[in-house]
Amino acid sequence: MLEIKNLYKKYLNSERFAVENLSLELKEGEIFGFLGKNGAGKSTTLKCVTGIYPFNGGSIKVCGKDIREESIDAKLNMGYVPDNHSVYEKLTGREYINYIADLYRVSKFDRMEHFTRFVRMFRLSHAVDTQIKSYSHGMKQKICIIAALIHQPRLWVLDEPMMGLDPQSMVEIISYMREHCKQGNTVFFSSHNLDLVAKLCDRAAIIHEGKLHDIIDLTVKGNKETLEEDFLSITREEEEG
Amino acid sequence: MKSTYTLLKLEFRNNFGVFSLKDKKMVKKTIGTAIFVIVFYLFLLWASEVLFEMFAKEGLAYEILVFLFTAMFLFFVLSGISSTSKVLYYKGDNEMLMRLPVKGYEVFISKTLYLIINQILLTGVVLVPVMFAYSNVVEVPKQFLKLIPAATAFIVFIPFFISNLLAIPAMVLTNKIRHRFGLVIVIMVIGVTVMFTVYMMLFESMVTYLKGQSFSVFDPEVVQVFKQVASYCYPTKYFADLVLQRSPVVALFLLMLISLFLLFLNILLVVFVYQKTLLKNIEIEGSAYRKKRGRFVHRSIFSTLLRKEFLQVLRSVNYSFQYFVLAFSMPVMVYFCNEIAIKIGRNDIGDKIILGLTLLVMLIFNTVIISFSATSITREGDNFYHTKVIPVSIRKQLAAKFTMYLFISILANAATTALIIYRKQIGLLEGVWLFGIIQFIGISLTLRSMKMDVKRPKFNLSGQGELVSGNVNTTASVGLGFAVSVIIGILAMLISYLLDSFFAINTEVLSVDQWMLVIISGISLIFGIYCILSYQINLKKHYNRIT
Repeated sequence: MLEIKNLYKKYLNSERFAVENLSLELKEGEIFGFLGKNGAGKSTTLKCVTGIYPFNGGSIKVCGKDIREESIDAKLNMGYVPDNHSVYEKLTGREYINYIADLYRVSKFDRMEHFTRFVRMFRLSHAVDTQIKSYSHGMKQKICIIAALIHQPRLWVLDEPMMGLDPQSMVEIISYMREHCKQGNTVFFSSHNLDLVAKLCDRAAIIHEGKLHDIIDLTVKGNKETLEEDFLSITREEEEG
Repeated sequence: MKSTYTLLKLEFRNNFGVFSLKDKKMVKKTIGTAIFVIVFYLFLLWASEVLFEMFAKEGLAYEILVFLFTAMFLFFVLSGISSTSKVLYYKGDNEMLMRLPVKGYEVFISKTLYLIINQILLTGVVLVPVMFAYSNVVEVPKQFLKLIPAATAFIVFIPFFISNLLAIPAMVLTNKIRHRFGLVIVIMVIGVTVMFTVYMMLFESMVTYLKGQSFSVFDPEVVQVFKQVASYCYPTKYFADLVLQRSPVVALFLLMLISLFLLFLNILLVVFVYQKTLLKNIEIEGSAYRKKRGRFVHRSIFSTLLRKEFLQVLRSVNYSFQYFVLAFSMPVMVYFCNEIAIKIGRNDIGDKIILGLTLLVMLIFNTVIISFSATSITREGDNFYHTKVIPVSIRKQLAAKFTMYLFISILANAATTALIIYRKQIGLLEGVWLFGIIQFIGISLTLRSMKMDVKRPKFNLSGQGELVSGNVNTTASVGLGFAVSVIIGILAMLISYLLDSFFAINTEVLSVDQWMLVIISGISLIFGIYCILSYQINLKKHYNRIT
């Protein structure tokens, strides 16, 4: 579903690589967590995957489509939820979703069906015809999630998705992530929340100072329990070393 | 009292920053402001003298002073409503201040003092040179200059009290029409057009007067109308009466009475309404637009991009003004400027340069609206990531933006050309040809401006994610536009002049003007090809670099 090979990313005027020789492969139907401290390179990797950032070396393929060579096809298979919940605030929620649905070539029937379902799920019905600028932080996050899902992407990428969400919405998202994966799709999200990753993910990768340190299979008995320990030992070792 | 003083200091620091000799940027800014004030002061002194001389010659010395006070009075009331809403009622600021250990009335007093001090400074800068100019031109009583502080005090306080009273109804009214986007644009276009028309008519009279072309600038009927209107200008005629010592006691008494009455109403407002208004959040109430019947419409990718771009501009008062209002006011602006330019040009050089002059004027006004395209990427702000994430090529995204610019410029230029042809400033054939040239140069400059922004966007948006302050790309676009306008405009005039005066060209096939248009079309074509190529080359590469 997602294949990252030897990814290198360096920011302009920076001495070191923000992401260095990172390789990952995400399978169909799995929820994959991406762990790391602040500035470890999680968001940078996700932004390279979604095509926001250009990268210095390596390759990224989404459903077999290269993000650089066949970017339109690759992006059609992806839905992205950013960490800053930025949306076109002059539009109403419905207008924004309709705009995204047009760009992703979603049929009128499908968009209405998905929209109605998600709006109900996130309890946004009262606000969908109001300009997004009046939305709260959590409501903006919800409308971003609906926009990312309106075309039922094969790969759903989320950057810190639970920030600013109420507990009920968190439960709904977790439940929907599972449902989305059951249909053969993949979820790839970054988080600081070790408990959430342990509870939800099939596998998790730990990135530290731009390098991938470990990929943990959380379906193996005992790995969920030791995730926190593994994470802390990797990040602590580096600091001490 | 101490809290009020601290809050007042905070308000000034918040708005003007803290002056420090160590801060070179601040020192430069202060010197720049001082130079600007001095230049403005001298200009105002000169322009006022010309204006007063012109009116005094017609026996309208008293009337012009009344009009001047009236204009200042109206300006202070209108600007006062805007600043009162922002300073006294703006939610964010008040919420922050209310968290501090200060009383509500201390916040109110400090903010009110800030507004008044600001107003006094502004009035001082404007009123003092104007009054000096008046005393230089018109014979005034001995007390005239001594009475300026009294006039200043009244012209600060009365409009301030009135704007305080009007601020709440104005906010309620604004909320009612805020989302009638078309109506807001129409109101703004009318406002800008009327102000520009009045300004240009006055300017035209001053030009006529300065050139000494006619003994009398105004018709006798107009003089009578001025006299009659001035006699009805309440309460501003009392300001003139006071400084000119025409029934000064009555004027002083009435102005004091009005001030006291307004003060009383303001006290009632503070006691009974101010806090309630803050609590009700009127300033931002209903600030979000709500669609009555939202529905899904399936659109093509291009039309959905175009629609989004249009709505982003239409639903922002700031962008609507910068773009739609200026574009739709363009016909009137060009017409008046061209009228004056033609008058001056015809008298000084001759008819042969008229078409070139019109081209110059139209190109300059076009530049102003084209500069909006220099923020095509910048305006995306935090939403820039959308342009990279969506499955649509950047060329198509920019093409949608370009289509909006093209559509608006065609509308504005067509209306402008139609008006100047109708008013017989130029002929039909030349007009249509001119429209084509201007449109083509406009397209070229638009592409150049868009490319500039793709190369170096500045995502430093503020407020509600909008570009409100100056932008390097806008400045560069205006600079380039002016340079191109001046070069092509002067070249056009020069070509017409030279063809007519020194070259024996065949005017059987084409007239001198048409020959000039052919040559200018060729130059525009070369410039256009350069702009189109420079837009296309490495567009994707530059765009991909933006992060």
